Amino acid sequence: MQGDDVAAVQVPPDDRPGPASHHGARLGGVFDAVSRGEPFATDTHAAMDGQADILEIKDFNLWYGENQAIFKNSFGVPEGKVTALIGPSGCGKSTLLRSVNRMNDLIASVRIAGDMSLSGDSIYALGVDVIELRKRIGMVFQKPNPFPMSIYENVVYSQRIDGVRDKTVLDEVVETSLRGAGLWDEVKDRLGSSALRLSGGQQQRLCIGRAIAGEPEVLLLDEPCSALDPIATGRIEDLIQELKGQYTILIVTHNMQQAQRASDYTAFMYLGRLVEYGPTQDIFVNPHLKETEDYVTGRFG
Amino acid sequence: MAKDSSQASPALKPGSRRSSLFARGESMVWLTGSTLILCVAMIGGLLALVTVRGAQTFWPQEILRVETIDGGALLGELVKVETYEPEAHVFDAIEDEGEREKARALVAGLDGKSERWFLRTGNRSTENRDGFHWVQDFEVARETRPPWALTIERSEWGRFYGVPKGFLDGEQLTAETPDAAWALFEKHHADAVETGEEAHELEKDGIGAIDARIEAARLRVRAAELDHGTDSPEHAAAQKRAADDEARWSSERARLRKRVDALHTESRRFAFLMTSADGGEHRVGLVDIVRAYPANRVGWWEKVGIYLARWWEFLSEEPREANSEGGVWPAIFGTVILTLIMTLLVVPCGVLGALYLREYAKQGPLVSLVRIAVNNLAGVPSIVFGVFGFGFFCYTIGAGIDDVFFAEQLPHPTFGKGGILWASLTLALLTLPVVIVATEEALSAVPNSMREGSYACGASKWQTIRRIVLPRAMPGIMTGMILAIARGAGEVAPIMLVGAAKMAPSLPVDGSFPFVHPERSFMHLGFHIYDLGFQSPDAKAAEPLVFTTTLLLIGIVVLLNVVAITVRGRLRRQFVEGR
Repeated sequence: MQGDDVAAVQVPPDDRPGPASHHGARLGGVFDAVSRGEPFATDTHAAMDGQADILEIKDFNLWYGENQAIFKNSFGVPEGKVTALIGPSGCGKSTLLRSVNRMNDLIASVRIAGDMSLSGDSIYALGVDVIELRKRIGMVFQKPNPFPMSIYENVVYSQRIDGVRDKTVLDEVVETSLRGAGLWDEVKDRLGSSALRLSGGQQQRLCIGRAIAGEPEVLLLDEPCSALDPIATGRIEDLIQELKGQYTILIVTHNMQQAQRASDYTAFMYLGRLVEYGPTQDIFVNPHLKETEDYVTGRFG
Repeated sequence: MAKDSSQASPALKPGSRRSSLFARGESMVWLTGSTLILCVAMIGGLLALVTVRGAQTFWPQEILRVETIDGGALLGELVKVETYEPEAHVFDAIEDEGEREKARALVAGLDGKSERWFLRTGNRSTENRDGFHWVQDFEVARETRPPWALTIERSEWGRFYGVPKGFLDGEQLTAETPDAAWALFEKHHADAVETGEEAHELEKDGIGAIDARIEAARLRVRAAELDHGTDSPEHAAAQKRAADDEARWSSERARLRKRVDALHTESRRFAFLMTSADGGEHRVGLVDIVRAYPANRVGWWEKVGIYLARWWEFLSEEPREANSEGGVWPAIFGTVILTLIMTLLVVPCGVLGALYLREYAKQGPLVSLVRIAVNNLAGVPSIVFGVFGFGFFCYTIGAGIDDVFFAEQLPHPTFGKGGILWASLTLALLTLPVVIVATEEALSAVPNSMREGSYACGASKWQTIRRIVLPRAMPGIMTGMILAIARGAGEVAPIMLVGAAKMAPSLPVDGSFPFVHPERSFMHLGFHIYDLGFQSPDAKAAEPLVFTTTLLLIGIVVLLNVVAITVRGRLRRQFVEGR
């Protein structure tokens, strides 16, 4: 493994030292390198090689004005799987997610270097039609953001802006998407009522339905459960499992259990750097780096 | 021991650690509460004054006959009673010595105070221009309510108070008692008025139409002269046609004139023979009577009927007698149309401007400067907008339109003077900042998450604005519209310069081609109030109408606002609350 030379010694899970002895030097390695501003290589597990990646991120850097938020991230998101981005607050995981469908274009001070590609098509090359790009990528936000219109119109929003008027087509999109989002049985009798009257969890599932209505190649979930109660969270997690395979999902989460339960692969980010990336089981049970282990077991973060 | 314990726990000593009055905020509750009461009292007081005074204008009053100690008599309605302290020389004016001493004694018995009554005595004519009289109570010898005294509202010269002596058919006296005369009045009044109206309509529509044709022919001659020169064959042809037209129409015109004159004579056939308070006899033609009633005989329900009829006349008729009589329908129409055109102009302009400022423009010093400039525009005195509208719309744009399209009518301006279109544009300019500011606030209140959701679905900026941002901001935009209406409908100063008229001959929308006349001057309730209160030749008769017109203007603004607020409530439920 290329990361071994910079990583700290691995400690078996049942043999961890207590938190008191864990500060300072023990955390050295990667974080020290980061704080000194030195470059280091991401510890990408061997299991990630040979995956069919639908989304490829290559040496991606991002600045907010003068402040660099993302440092030379490179990784691939395997098709049809769920990949989780974890890391402490402010580590740039949401920024990275929003870079995939170029939502950061809306912020005037953002500058980028490097590239990403979706199914081989560059995302950041000159002349890319951002609107067409976004239609290939679905996104669900932290806070449910249904539009101020009926449930029906929310789901067919992408079709409406494309000028689709055929009622049978739209009806079908609504039913498939809402069934896909696990909301159909709850709302099928009141599709005409305002989406703003749904509960928070229902609104978030509606947003997922809206995102998959456009049949995107990749689904971006930006902490989709952080504004929801545990029951609604559980439903969304079940939904992610159902959507897996059909859609490629990239999810940002603060919740370790959620990452462990819901994702196939996990990337650990710290201060804009991608630290370790591998199959979720390995990251949580058998991480290569001490820092990753400390984070996923809740010793810092 | 007691001393020790109090030292040990000073915090427990009652009152020692109480927070100050100021800290607890009790005083602020009183301050804010009383300020609110003050505001509400001012608004409520104004509304109450306008409502009470405005609503009682049309209530039929009883007629008093006052005989004074010098042998005179007055007949009229009591308008108000004042208490004052008469000075000594007032009594010297009383000729009879015994009466003078009696009056002095009466006033002295009342601590030197006296009452004086303000009577509306009407009966204005070329000789008697004042329809009001003051009477001191010590001058009053006798006070009666004559049962057959009539209040007559005339179409000219205002009210007439008197007792019917008889009824005239031509020169012949056909009734000699008041009740017989009243019976004949009730029988013939409607017919006489109808005949009079027929004559007026024929005069206006028949003869007026002929005059319009002759005028059109004259304008064609002028146009031919302007286009081709005086010696051209076109000019000669137009001249010949105009002469033919005039010859053809003049006989028709004479025939109509004769018919009109006959109708007028017919309508003047019946008349009241009235005795006024001073004993003089007056002929009051039935055609000139708008309404008459025996004020001291009518019962409560009849009074209600007269009250409502007067309100209806006020709302639906044109004004008479320099606006101090009749109705205000043209002013209502002008106000509403002016406000509607203004709204149609200002809302799209303001919303589009605010959209660019908030959604498209790169926020920076330049945009801030524009925003400050717009906000300051709201603080410019409204008369300045009037001057600008007059100079720019009327004299620049209007005169330009006249030069190009209405050259044959010059030197009479068509668009190059005040008119309802220019007034609407001026008011739109005046209220633009209100709409821009309100719309900007509404736009910035749209959650960014909704915009992001729309972009993430692949919507373009304009699609996002049109489908998400604007509907969601609509209630806020409506708020701006409501404020603009409230401000615009009440403005008087600017429209005085750009087209409001004391008396507009015709409405901006009527039956003559092309039906909508944006160049016409118009009447306006706000200007009407100013005119009644300060420009009226019969100010005392107009004073109650000031309140009634104010009540009406407030009512119209409230009505427009209620409609807008209802719509806003629906939009808010739909787009913000999701009900």
